[in-house]
Amino acid sequence: MIAGCPESTKLCVDFDLVWRRAVGLFCLSLAGLVGGCSGGSSGSAPTVPTAPTAGPAVTISGASQARLGSVVQLTATVSNTSNTAVSWQVNGVAGGSSAAGTISAAGLYTPPIAIPSPNTVTITAVTQATPVASASMVESIMNPLPVVTSGSATPGLSATSFNLDLVGTGFLATSQLQVAGSTVSSMFVSSTELRATITLAVNTAAVAVVVTNPDPGGSVSASVQVTVAKTSLTAAARLLDQATFGPTPTDIEHVQQVGLSGYLSEQFAVPTTLLPNITTPPPTICATNLLPCEQSEWWQTVLTGQDQLRQRVAFALSEIFVVSTNSVNSRAVTTYHNTLANDAFVNFYTIMQDVTLSPAMGAYLNMLNSNKPGTVNGVAQIANENYARELMQLFTTGIYMLNPDGTLQLDGNGKPIEVYTEAQVQAFARAFTGWTYAPAAGVTSKFTNPANNTAPMVGIESAHDMTSKILLNGTSMPSGQSTSQDLSGALTNLFNHPNVGPFICKQLIQHLVASNPSVAYVARVSAVFANDGAGKRGNMRAVITAILSDADARAGDTSPNFDGGHLREPMLYMTNVMRGLGFANKDVAAGNDVVANASYNTVGNYTSPLGEKPYSSGSVFNFFPPNYVIPGTTMNAPEFAQENTASAVLRLTLANTLVYNGVSGFTVDLSKASALGITASKTGVAATDAGNLVDSLAVIFMHGQMPLQMRTAIVNHVATLTDPAQRVRVATYLVITSSFFKVEH
Amino acid sequence: MRVNRRSFIRDASLAAAGNAAGLRPFGALNSLAQGAADYKALVCVFLFGGNDSNNTLVPFDTTGYANYEAVRGPLALPQTGTGGLIQLAQAPNFSLNPNLPDIAKLFDSKVAALVTNVGTLIAPTTKAQYQAGGILPTNLFSHPDQQLEWQNASQSAATSTGWAGRIADTLTTSYNPGGQVPMITSVAGDTLFCNGAASTPVSVSPGNLGGAACGEGATECAAQQATAQALLQFDSGLSLVQADNTITSNAYNYAKVLTAATSSVPALQTVFPANNALASQLKQIAQIIQVRAALGVSRQIFFAGIGNFDTHSDELSLQGQLLASISPALAAFYQATQELNVSNNVTTFTMSDFSRTFQPNSNTGTDHAWGAHHIVLGGAVKGGQMYGTFPTLKLAGPDDSGTNGRWVPTTGSVQYAATLAQWFGVTSSQLSAIFPNIGSFPTTNLGFV
Repeated sequence: MIAGCPESTKLCVDFDLVWRRAVGLFCLSLAGLVGGCSGGSSGSAPTVPTAPTAGPAVTISGASQARLGSVVQLTATVSNTSNTAVSWQVNGVAGGSSAAGTISAAGLYTPPIAIPSPNTVTITAVTQATPVASASMVESIMNPLPVVTSGSATPGLSATSFNLDLVGTGFLATSQLQVAGSTVSSMFVSSTELRATITLAVNTAAVAVVVTNPDPGGSVSASVQVTVAKTSLTAAARLLDQATFGPTPTDIEHVQQVGLSGYLSEQFAVPTTLLPNITTPPPTICATNLLPCEQSEWWQTVLTGQDQLRQRVAFALSEIFVVSTNSVNSRAVTTYHNTLANDAFVNFYTIMQDVTLSPAMGAYLNMLNSNKPGTVNGVAQIANENYARELMQLFTTGIYMLNPDGTLQLDGNGKPIEVYTEAQVQAFARAFTGWTYAPAAGVTSKFTNPANNTAPMVGIESAHDMTSKILLNGTSMPSGQSTSQDLSGALTNLFNHPNVGPFICKQLIQHLVASNPSVAYVARVSAVFANDGAGKRGNMRAVITAILSDADARAGDTSPNFDGGHLREPMLYMTNVMRGLGFANKDVAAGNDVVANASYNTVGNYTSPLGEKPYSSGSVFNFFPPNYVIPGTTMNAPEFAQENTASAVLRLTLANTLVYNGVSGFTVDLSKASALGITASKTGVAATDAGNLVDSLAVIFMHGQMPLQMRTAIVNHVATLTDPAQRVRVATYLVITSSFFKVEH
Repeated sequence: MRVNRRSFIRDASLAAAGNAAGLRPFGALNSLAQGAADYKALVCVFLFGGNDSNNTLVPFDTTGYANYEAVRGPLALPQTGTGGLIQLAQAPNFSLNPNLPDIAKLFDSKVAALVTNVGTLIAPTTKAQYQAGGILPTNLFSHPDQQLEWQNASQSAATSTGWAGRIADTLTTSYNPGGQVPMITSVAGDTLFCNGAASTPVSVSPGNLGGAACGEGATECAAQQATAQALLQFDSGLSLVQADNTITSNAYNYAKVLTAATSSVPALQTVFPANNALASQLKQIAQIIQVRAALGVSRQIFFAGIGNFDTHSDELSLQGQLLASISPALAAFYQATQELNVSNNVTTFTMSDFSRTFQPNSNTGTDHAWGAHHIVLGGAVKGGQMYGTFPTLKLAGPDDSGTNGRWVPTTGSVQYAATLAQWFGVTSSQLSAIFPNIGSFPTTNLGFV
């Protein structure tokens, strides 16, 4: 059961509190400087000369009103002596005090934090020349002028409830907030931030907001129009969980502002973060083995790239069109990743073609240098069947005939119907003969060319089987065709097979949204694969949009009990936690050099014990099979193939490493002074602190949907701890080791 | 749909069939000392990807070798000289891959046997029946399907239980009534082989037997773990969350049991080869066998395995390296069972997706085939012998399902499995429930153990 609304309402507030705190402090210091330049009233204050006529005399000039948070520059003018230095006092205390305000040797007066009672202080300048003379003035301490610089209103947990968040300067605990002319109760976060939960009519586009500070010095801010966002925190965070390598507080807020479809449109337009080619000779970290450079580039890109959706889809594609650095050159894999990322939103045929001709896949499944059948040194050899078989079995059609909703077609005896025969495997194998590496510039191409890991393979006609081939559905490819003609004929035959839509779309849904999509969900997406609405088959942008926008994908935005989701595989678990907690790379030497940043290259060392590193599957069957069923159940759940009593313990160890800041080359701040740490020790009341902390974590890792029972258990546990940093560590550990987080839903 | 909470015995009523006492998944530690005589273990070593049997066990007589060499061409192993085949003293017309010297020694010392041309079959099948499209296993030549069918004893790949899991369903109550861990342990992740209708395995990561690391102080670590475990007891109402709660809860429990059982036992003296994945797995298995009494088990099945046998190219080199890692790993494991005085109680056997085409492809590799040869090892094995029928190594010959040397198996993998199961303790009356197809075969016991 999921917690009721009150907790979740509070979640939003505390979430923003935590993550705005750093900004707030920054604004505060700025406000101090600016205030010093513009605050206070002008004119000279009356002064009272007390010196004898023949000795030194002094007068004070400067503003007689000081506003909290602003400074006032006072000037002492000394006459009848060459020593014009003075000492300053506030209420008779040299240099002043925290209660009455302080004054520097140069006469810069800083008011106290709060209005003193009464709200006046006496400032005195005393000459250093003798006989001593002094002058005094009365300074009135006033409340600051409130200024609203920006605001946001984001949906709460009911249709008319919104979370208002104002940023500005001069805010007080006693500031009064008016929204659309009505006074509402507000929560003071800091002098630069105010919060409120407000009620607005459905479809309100914007509201006017005014902040009023009370006397002394009472004043009213200018009115500011705040745009009302349409998207709830839960919906925003869930979309990010499905479409990126992990929600961050900043991204959640952004999606709330631009909406789900707005975010997808933005992401479709972001250019590919290309992994740089590994140079020759390679950088130091991969001088003897190219793998660290490939790993480094991948981790940095998925953790920090702006093209999150593209990279997430490319990741899904990389677990369907599997190649592995276990046997493939890392330069080729780097190029291959760029191919998948570039093609992620284009057309499925483009993906098929680019994958087929990539040197990485060529090398991995042996289409590279596969010669036509023939006799070599008296020994008859057959065309290599590897790529032909797996292209059908894994990348396009699958083994059995499918209905458009992904279910099996059955024959008259209730048996599934095989898509292809061994003879058809061999026909495709012959169609794909004659391909080798692209030649170096200026070098004549031959069968076989030396390694070229970055350019698409080229066809050599003399090594190509030119006999006719019978493809799927009995389609005949005539004899005498070239490498390219046979390739395009074979790929077109597969691309148009009706299985491709349901076979591929179901897997993409499983990778992005849910292990067990309803047949109706699969049918809706595969219909888009068949026709994007403009008559085009295989439009990937349309398919991705359909997957992420589907009613089944979005149901959990408003129905926490909607059953679905999928286990976070180890690499996504790692990126989710690192992005959510704000792990920062500290490889100063390498800086932004994506290739040479040795720290990113070692991230995979933490997921490897759980069975995964980027592009390192043990076979073309990926780290887990799409049709895996959890033992003892009928639940299809691919990622669970890697979840067992051994890996579950190893994941606990990984969680401990993460909360103990143990990821080499990275740092995460979970200290008392960190954003979460401030929450953990904000009130000085253990139970309240723990609740705020857990609510903040629930936003980051559970879309603000932590079940009440879980929240209570974690809060009760954390409240027994006194060290704020330990509270943060332990609460985070308990959240990220829970199955409720491990299973993204 | 909701998943039921399950321990390693998911459904006591199923597992307890035939035993009214039912089950105690986490019963009190069995205080009965268990001597080796009460103990039996099966150890499966799965060679993922399809090991090429044609270059594992090779004819050595003049005619046989010449025929082999003529077809294999660039893939033919030299008969003699450096890197030459190892002739078997106990079967002089045959030889092993030069990277299997330990297996040859174990064979010749009669603790290892070879079972030839075994494959997935629903019933005995001739070449003619195959070509006529008879009753055949589904998706021959497909890796995942054939892996699953070896593991479930030639059921359809959709069958949700493996034959070891079904043995555990049947025998756990009678043999491991006080077991602290499931009958089956996997050191190579989750596989169908280990799953029964009511049984799930304990998975162990080799070398990581204990619990999770914890950086807090001892008191807080204990408290933190208690809370983390408590969170797993909450009913989220979400199927996958519940499923993961169960797995993770079991993980905590098994880690605790295994840590306690292994905390004060002497280290094995047997030296296992370093940097050898299979050796690490087998060493872990030996260590668990060592503490069998503390675990309260008298019957155990282990699953180990390594991959990369899918040698579509560069086969001589790739397969050679793999076999060179298997040979010393199996030898060390056998030695460890001797050290533990259980060498007659532990039987190790190989399985693999399928064998590979006798005819090479154009990348000095081979493609997916069918019937394969397998190794069985242990003191109980009637070793030094070959079992089954060695195929006629002729393209389009009497054993070739087509023209590329994909041998139609002459022994069913279900017979191979049933033979091992009977040694383990499965009675003839229990056999057909565990191996539904066994009745279609003329013999249920191949006699190699």
